[in-house]
Amino acid sequence: MTAYVPILLLFTVAFALAGVFFVLGGAIGPKNPTPEKMIPYECGSESTGARFVKPSVKFYLTAILFVVFDIEAVFIYPWAIQFRALGWTGFVTMGSFIALLVVGLVYVWKKGALEWEK
Amino acid sequence: MTRLMAISPLLVVALGGVLLMLAEAFSHRREEGDVRHTGPSSELALGTAVTLLAGAIMAAAVWMVGPEKLETLPGLAPYYVADRFTLFFTFTICLGGALAALLAGGYLPEHKLDRGEFYPLLTFGTVGAILLAAAGDLLSLFIALETMSLAVYALTGFRRTSPRSTEAAVKYFLLGSFAAVLLLYGGALLYGATGHTDLAGIRAAIMHPAAAKPANLALVLVAAALILCGLAFKVSAVPFHMWTPDAYEGAPTPATGYMAVAVKTAAFAMMLRVLVGGFGDGALASWAAGWPPVLALLAVVTMTGANLVAGRQESVKRMLAYSSIAHAGYVLVAVATIPRASEEAQASVMYYLLAYTVSTIGAFGALVLCGSRGAEAVSYEDLAGLGKRHPAVAIAFTLFLLSLTGVPPTAGFFGKWYVAKTTIGAGLYPLAIVLLLNSALAAYYYLRVLVYMYMRDPAPGAPIAKPMRSGYVVGALVIAGVLVLALGIWPTTPIELAVQAALTAR
Amino acid sequence: MSATDFLFAIWPAILAGIVAAFVPREMSPRQRVALGFIAAIGLASVKWLWPSELPAVVAEGAKAPEEWPHLLNLIVGLPLVGGVVVMFMPRQLLSLVRGFTLVVMAAAFLASLGLLTVPMTAGWHFNYSKDWMPGLGIRYHVAVDGISLWLVILATFITPIAAFASFGSIKTRIKELCIALLFLEGAMIGAFVALDLFVFYVFWELVLVPMYLMIGIWGGTDRIKAAVKFFIYTMVGSVLLLAAILYLVWANQKLTGQWSFDYIDLSRVVLARPAQMLCFWAFSLAFFIKVPMWPVHTWLPDAHTEAPTGGSVILAAVLLKLGTYAYLRFSMGLFAGPASSLAANLAGVAVLGGVLYGALVAWKQQDVKRLVAYSSVAHLGYVMLGLFGATPSGMQGAVLQMVNHGISTGALFLLVGVIYDRRHTRQVDEFGGLAKVMPAYATLFLIVTFASVGVPGTNGFIGEFLVISGTYVSERLGVFGGIHTVGAAAGVILSAVYMLGVVQKMFFGPLTNPKNKHLPDLTPREALALAPLIVMIFVIGFFPGVFLDRMKDAIDMHHSQFKTVSGQAVLYSDEKDAKLLPEDVFSPAFLDGSPSRMTGPKDAEPHAKNDAANGGAK
Repeated sequence: MTAYVPILLLFTVAFALAGVFFVLGGAIGPKNPTPEKMIPYECGSESTGARFVKPSVKFYLTAILFVVFDIEAVFIYPWAIQFRALGWTGFVTMGSFIALLVVGLVYVWKKGALEWEK
Repeated sequence: MTRLMAISPLLVVALGGVLLMLAEAFSHRREEGDVRHTGPSSELALGTAVTLLAGAIMAAAVWMVGPEKLETLPGLAPYYVADRFTLFFTFTICLGGALAALLAGGYLPEHKLDRGEFYPLLTFGTVGAILLAAAGDLLSLFIALETMSLAVYALTGFRRTSPRSTEAAVKYFLLGSFAAVLLLYGGALLYGATGHTDLAGIRAAIMHPAAAKPANLALVLVAAALILCGLAFKVSAVPFHMWTPDAYEGAPTPATGYMAVAVKTAAFAMMLRVLVGGFGDGALASWAAGWPPVLALLAVVTMTGANLVAGRQESVKRMLAYSSIAHAGYVLVAVATIPRASEEAQASVMYYLLAYTVSTIGAFGALVLCGSRGAEAVSYEDLAGLGKRHPAVAIAFTLFLLSLTGVPPTAGFFGKWYVAKTTIGAGLYPLAIVLLLNSALAAYYYLRVLVYMYMRDPAPGAPIAKPMRSGYVVGALVIAGVLVLALGIWPTTPIELAVQAALTAR
Repeated sequence: MSATDFLFAIWPAILAGIVAAFVPREMSPRQRVALGFIAAIGLASVKWLWPSELPAVVAEGAKAPEEWPHLLNLIVGLPLVGGVVVMFMPRQLLSLVRGFTLVVMAAAFLASLGLLTVPMTAGWHFNYSKDWMPGLGIRYHVAVDGISLWLVILATFITPIAAFASFGSIKTRIKELCIALLFLEGAMIGAFVALDLFVFYVFWELVLVPMYLMIGIWGGTDRIKAAVKFFIYTMVGSVLLLAAILYLVWANQKLTGQWSFDYIDLSRVVLARPAQMLCFWAFSLAFFIKVPMWPVHTWLPDAHTEAPTGGSVILAAVLLKLGTYAYLRFSMGLFAGPASSLAANLAGVAVLGGVLYGALVAWKQQDVKRLVAYSSVAHLGYVMLGLFGATPSGMQGAVLQMVNHGISTGALFLLVGVIYDRRHTRQVDEFGGLAKVMPAYATLFLIVTFASVGVPGTNGFIGEFLVISGTYVSERLGVFGGIHTVGAAAGVILSAVYMLGVVQKMFFGPLTNPKNKHLPDLTPREALALAPLIVMIFVIGFFPGVFLDRMKDAIDMHHSQFKTVSGQAVLYSDEKDAKLLPEDVFSPAFLDGSPSRMTGPKDAEPHAKNDAANGGAK
């Protein structure tokens, strides 16, 4: 356990420092609010519309599909490195894994999740 | 290929799920305004039921061959234990799932929820449940749990447009994840304490402190407590039951039935695996300082609490949700007696779950059958006068409720009887008495349904539940009804099988 | 017997039939024929029952006739199968459903008369046993002895009458009614004949559901509350019973290594003292609730008041007997020790809470049906007193009183139902002077009242007399015997007060209420339903020997066994563990009923199966 003490120390110092600056800024900084200053910051231009805009569900879908089909790489890399050692067992296993992924892809495709505009 | 024989039930269900998914994707998509009565999902329902029944039949076939004799894949052992315990639970889970699928085949088209995703989700949930019953390692246990739970979360929120269903799904998801995290954390601590993730290794490490790496007992205790909390969440024992009524009420009724039956059965399988396989002996399994008194207390609180609250419900569906909590309490009684009467107590858990499966799915099925488009039967008032208008439905409902109450000669009676017998044999008299008194208490709210069905007439002008017409639902009810009576009148064989399926204590 | 002899033998019956058919006025030919037929049958049976002719009957069957082993299965199975058949009958064909139900019940009654064909020696008759769940030691084991014989016949006798009466007053949901009645009959008979405790419990519970539905569907205004109260009360009692059964079975298993739920096997077990006490109470509480005994009697008045006439009749006449019978058979048979040591206290409760309190409360009732219900509490107090006293004559009286109460209270409920159908009220104040407009009704009511009060010549007298005389000599009650006797005798007087008081108020005096001026007298249907009961009142009243002779041997055996076993139990009372009594404590006739003995050499087989089931996975 002693090996982790420095890390713990680092965390403590980091959090304490951040907290100190936060408090200091609030306590001793000058305050002169004007209406312009109070509006939410939007790259300098005037903000329009409601604050909470729901992003289209399409973004989520794309993101989740990306995660699903990207993670396969994590499994495929070690298999590729150990390809000879694992032999036919590894090949069959990975083959069925990829086959399942393909089924998933077909499903997603057929369901129209890959089309941005329907 | 013979090596796959031992896991063939799982493979059948998993492959069936994949095929169903593809079939659903390629099937005719219903356009808006299409008023055909049967959409794609009706055929899928049959397919799902056939798949799951095939799984159950494969389980029975492997049982006949004898799983001990079968060669399995190398390296499968702790992650998927192909023993009789697994097969028994596979059978029960598949049976419950198949009946739930049949209910869905009638329910979904009737209530304009006719989307085929239901069936692959149900099938994959069943895959998770089977894996859960078979998992002999904390890693595969967790993966199985998540596979099952994710599918069920989606099933709960299946009625997307209904705020209630969505709320139920979110609640279930959050609390379910919380429980999973507790389990995971407990598992991690256990690994830290013993250096093992497989249950047999954990048990060996706890049992033999003189082993190479002695287990840190304080850590083991904390881990056991966390894992017990997680398990209690999953079997919805009071006070970890808060999600259950809302989730059960919000979900579409077939999904509710599925949750009440297959998911709960799998959770109890997991509980038995962990408690008997991992913490099965030594001080941890003693009545002085182990989990049995905790479970006994949980059982008492669960039974009594759930029965008291169930009597106050105005919705039949919610009442059945509380009833499923109460039944979890009855099963917990049997689990608590395991250290004193290992095989018999486990057999009583297994028989009870089988009896509970057919009775509960039947009760939910009868509720499904009572409702029709736009008028789902949920409250007691909806059922008023049903005995006069639709006597066959009412008789079926009565049969399942009597089984849940524990009136002979139904399966539910024998299940309760067997649990009480085991408990008394183990010398836990107060627990048995609480169990039996609770079953008398529960009679009150089950009878209330009978009161409305047979003894009340609907209030003038009130909407009247019109039973739907669906061959699938009727078929499911017939199967469940026959099983309720058959299991109640000839319980010897299932009990002998359950005794054979029990996990060995050493 | 030649033709002339035969003619000579039956001429009084023919004469009676002719007189009965021609004397009454204003009756249709059909009614006349029916009346004449009843009179002829009645006289013929009286002649047959006359003691001087009894030896002839016995001599004829000197060689004991063969007992058909399936007779009990037939009696239990007929109504149950009939109920299932009715379930699949079209509900529109009312007359078919009704007729079928009555035919099945009549067949069951005739079959149960077959039980009388053999001489009722001590021990078990028509013994039938078949393995049900061999691994658990559960057998379908049924048999009758001289005690349960009469209760089976009572059940098969009363149920058709109740059904027949119900068809007159109940017009809705006939099909469900028939199903409920048939299942109820099958379950009650099953509970009376079951010797396996598991089977007994199954039937005991099965009785609840049809009765619950009967009260709840066809009952009065407050029916739902009454039905639920009935169910919950009984259910609470029976779950404790279940726990005690399981405890006893485990104790037996630990002693003998064998699983058995059989009454005869379990009779040999004497539990350790505290366990014995607790199990006795668990058993007896369930039975006391059913009887019902004070203070757990409160469900009864509600259930009776709300139940339809047919339901009340069955409830009072047969269902309550389940409690008294089960106390006699199981509580006294299995827990002789506590049953003996607590007898004096329990008898006090029976006298004070049952006989006296029941009578006093009945006195103050305005509702006639409620009054009859409380009178049931009082009458069953006598039955329980006879059982607690545990003398041969007291027990004979108790069993006879069970039958008597079934007949006279059943008849009373039928009579109350008659007036309720006409006026839709049962308040005593509403009536008065009914004897003027309904003479036949008033006559029958008076006869039944006499029977209920226990006027000599009616059945009630015999039962109460035997119980009270048995109480007086009971050694189990000790010095309290005399006090209880006085209390019970006072109860007889009280019952005369309240029963005759209500008769006085309802039937005599001026006919004040104008609504009563044009009430029609008994219809033929009602008269037909009542006739057999009235006949039985006098048959038992004049020829109690017919009944007592057949139960005597069984009661003597039960009594002597109770005495021996309770003595043994006292010897063992200091033991920490359960004991098995030696076989010679019991009479061979008793033990011979045990299936493990009946199979003889096959004894080892169930044992082996046990091991396979319980030890298979070890």
